Amino acid sequence: MRSSAHLTIGKIAALAQVSADTLRYYERERLIAPTAKSAGGYRLYERDALRRIQFIKQAQQCGFNLAEIRSLLALRGSNAACCRDVRRVALEKKLQLEAKIKAMKVMSNVLSQLVEECSGDNRPLDDCPILAALERANGGKRKSR
Amino acid sequence: MKIELFYIPGCEKCATARAGLKATAENVIPGVTWRELNALDELDYAVELGVLTLPAIAIDGEVVFSSLPTSGQLRRELAKRMRS
Repeated sequence: MRSSAHLTIGKIAALAQVSADTLRYYERERLIAPTAKSAGGYRLYERDALRRIQFIKQAQQCGFNLAEIRSLLALRGSNAACCRDVRRVALEKKLQLEAKIKAMKVMSNVLSQLVEECSGDNRPLDDCPILAALERANGGKRKSR
Repeated sequence: MKIELFYIPGCEKCATARAGLKATAENVIPGVTWRELNALDELDYAVELGVLTLPAIAIDGEVVFSSLPTSGQLRRELAKRMRS
């Protein structure tokens, strides 16, 4: 069953710079599957699988989760799809990332204000303006310690 | 009332649906402001409104439909807003 064209999981993992566990995880997530199994039951991959793994890694770096990558891979293999379909997916991902960045900037600004309000001295926690502000934000009252 | 439809150019199916939705909106609310915005050109504004999927429709600055509604859905939404 095993031929020179086939790579073992360890070999392809090393070439792709991921762990064998990652490849097994990708397999469970239906992102990649071995082409064959050796007589001993070991997973064997064709060289093309390397491109697929690199695609997955690159897409992850662009913020796509595994389910989204599965859709992208399906688009990539579909005769009915075209570049425009991929662009729509990429644009939607960008919108989601920008929304997250916007939300995180708000969080960061709130933290900046809180840090500004706190002198960071040795006063007891009951007088800590950051804790007090966080509790005010929750509509709660500071419990006595 | 202002209706803003965010789209990606090149989708023929969307273009046909957009024309139908515009006609519905103008039929329900004569004089309604209807804008069609290319999401690629108006990315910052789309983010500001909270558009996450395309096409999407915002009414008076609020994203109400995250995909194109049917004419009936749009009509019902507009009627509801007219009542309130």
